[in-house]
Amino acid sequence: MLLVAVGVALTTDRFLSRQNLMNVWLQVSIIAIVAIGATIVILTAQIDLSSGSLVALASVILAGLIKEMGVPVPLSILLVIAMGAALGLFNGFFSTYGRIPSFIFTLGTLAIFRGLAFLYTQGAPIFSVSPQLNPLFYRTFLGMPLPFVYVMVLYAAAWGYLRYTEGGRNIYAVGGNDSAARLSGINVNLVRTRAFVIAGFMSGLAGVLLTARLDSGSPNYGQGYELTAIAAAVIGGASLFGGHGNVFATLFGALTIVLVQNGLNLHGVPAAWQEIALGAIIAVAVGVDMWRRDIGQALGRLFGGRPRQEAERPAPTEPPVRTRT
Amino acid sequence: MASEPLWELRGVSKSFPGVRALQDVSLTLRRGGITALVGENGSGKSTLAKCLAGVHQPDEGELRHRGSRVELRDPSAARGHGVAVFYQESSLVPSLTVAENIYLGHLPRRGPLVDWAAARRGAMAALRRLGVAIDPHRPVAELSVAEQQLVEMAKAISSEMTLLVLDEPTAALGPEEIDRLHEVMKHLAGQGTSMLYISHRLDEVFTVADRIAVLRDGRLVGTAPREDTSVRDVVWMMIGTDLEELFVRDRRPSPGIRLEARDLRTPYVDGVDLSLAPGEILGLGGVIGSGRTRIARGLFGIDPILGGEVRVDGRPIRLRSPADAIAAGIAFLPEDRKADGLFFNFPGPPNVSIANLDAVKRGPLLSLARERHRTGRVMDELRVDRRAGDLSVRFLSGGNQQKLVLGRWLFSDARILILDEPTQGIDIGTKYEVYRVMNELTGRGISIILISSDYPELLAMSDRVAVVRQGRIVHVAARGELTEHQLVEMAATDVAKGA
Repeated sequence: MLLVAVGVALTTDRFLSRQNLMNVWLQVSIIAIVAIGATIVILTAQIDLSSGSLVALASVILAGLIKEMGVPVPLSILLVIAMGAALGLFNGFFSTYGRIPSFIFTLGTLAIFRGLAFLYTQGAPIFSVSPQLNPLFYRTFLGMPLPFVYVMVLYAAAWGYLRYTEGGRNIYAVGGNDSAARLSGINVNLVRTRAFVIAGFMSGLAGVLLTARLDSGSPNYGQGYELTAIAAAVIGGASLFGGHGNVFATLFGALTIVLVQNGLNLHGVPAAWQEIALGAIIAVAVGVDMWRRDIGQALGRLFGGRPRQEAERPAPTEPPVRTRT
Repeated sequence: MASEPLWELRGVSKSFPGVRALQDVSLTLRRGGITALVGENGSGKSTLAKCLAGVHQPDEGELRHRGSRVELRDPSAARGHGVAVFYQESSLVPSLTVAENIYLGHLPRRGPLVDWAAARRGAMAALRRLGVAIDPHRPVAELSVAEQQLVEMAKAISSEMTLLVLDEPTAALGPEEIDRLHEVMKHLAGQGTSMLYISHRLDEVFTVADRIAVLRDGRLVGTAPREDTSVRDVVWMMIGTDLEELFVRDRRPSPGIRLEARDLRTPYVDGVDLSLAPGEILGLGGVIGSGRTRIARGLFGIDPILGGEVRVDGRPIRLRSPADAIAAGIAFLPEDRKADGLFFNFPGPPNVSIANLDAVKRGPLLSLARERHRTGRVMDELRVDRRAGDLSVRFLSGGNQQKLVLGRWLFSDARILILDEPTQGIDIGTKYEVYRVMNELTGRGISIILISSDYPELLAMSDRVAVVRQGRIVHVAARGELTEHQLVEMAATDVAKGA
């Protein structure tokens, strides 16, 4: 989180123009929505590598339904989001009941989903889908751009779900210690599958928004979204081992990434360097998280006095606890 | 066996922020002597061991080796002075051979190549030093638990070893394996190695140690040769309470049958009949691997039920999963509370509420306030450390962690508790608390199935004891009908013949 402060601080001059801020927000919103799904899956100690491809597939199907099959826009949107959830179920089922590690299985669906998208359009994008889509993305609500509203609503809903419902609590339990969760009567496979369904839903929704933003569907959209989404979650403090993290922190993570990109753009940095910079930021963010305790101790020693973290150590006579993270 | 002092601690003190772990401790460890170090959790035992191991450096006082002062700045300095430490956590790599494990990280070389002959010779020599012979080419995964422990020991010791510190080495062992370990220790003592044996288990201490040193709140409150003291005296020194008060089973079961299993079969259990009255404690005794935990897992719906019937309060129940068992009012406290019981990403209250979230809901949503309040009540009842309310449970002592998991099942209104080694690795003061809780729960009509390798505990707390051997119950005795000796014999008899 201190990284966001850094991220914001490092930006200069043209950053604070209204136009630019709007752009940033529009940019962030789609990834942020995918990141909700990524976070929830990560909380259960799994990973979804297929979300970017699902976004592409969703965008293509939506475009096809509206433009080529003449299905009314609202219905098409619902169908596509439902498809997203269904494909999420597909991912979830095989990653849990099917006992295929989620990393491997979603690596497969990453290819399958995008392949299906290419198949459907024969590789070509579908342009000018429908004028009805534009307001979905570009209109404002009480002065705020709709994407902002969507993000806020979805994040609030996700936060509420995770914190205040049994399903959400079970997600943290499964991620924290799946065998203890099982022994406490939780259906671990079901909880994990549900996480994937949510991720699929989010990817579908993101695909819809992306299509609305660009008024076209293409099998090339969404490339790398899954990695950025996962990076956002990790920068926000989610642990890939599960059980730790919260959605709003992920939002900060996504903002950090986009702000950095934006900052670099404003300074005219070539794209290649941006990639490198982004990668470095992710590595540093994760590193800071892993080494947080050590950094705290080092800083403490530097500024005199006892390292604050020592007080939190268990009573000295305890053998080292092999923490199940 | 010469008895000159080999290692000495003089006036050693060590503090950490907020706690004085050791205060002015002076202890002499003689050549060839086995000194036991006992004390409650928090008494400073591990800190003392770590000072000898070079992990911590004393704030005051000194360490002496063969009469001259030494400073052990880090573990390799300690090793340089011949200190070897043996922890209970396994550090072996199962897919590698015995020799490879013993020389893990420092295989003998000949130029750039590994000198396998030297490794084999060295491994055999180390094992011979412990008085055992294991083929150094065997993969460690193929060895029994006891043999693996011996390899672990061989790994820890070296030819220049002067002091071997054993920190709770028997937590995961059964009676025969413990005996084996003790034999090895005596063998090493005969060779002149000095040993510091840290343990919660007083019966073992009295079997193997020459001298017993008692720590309490960081101070050494007494040392005595084994012959001059007794378990009772030691307990008194440790906690200031008389031993008599500890094992008190002060309730009696009510008439009736709360749980009944007939011809229960799982892939690991071969036709078990048992019954449990309301408020009864049924103890399951047997050697490690006899199937006690498997019976428990069958009753809790973890292992698939292949046949037989289970009834709770007369009604037959389906046990397809732990959720079914929980719905029927059965609770299970697994042996390894860290791996299977605790959520380290949660503080106390969610750990307690997780098996019964309905109790903390307001409508369809969780009420964190209600959770805090209701779990707080249970935690107070069990006298769990107050800090558990906010801190992650990883910061709690073993005893508090165990009480927390116990609290989870109280919170879920379970009527039948299956406790698998509930006092393992817990200091004596907290054990007493657990017994007190067990008594209280049975007073309320809750029934308990107690699995314990601590036979005195098992015999003292159970209303009836069932002896388990190879997946079946071979004998059931009422309270007072079985001696420890008989129990050991009955539990072990078939082992030699079987397999």
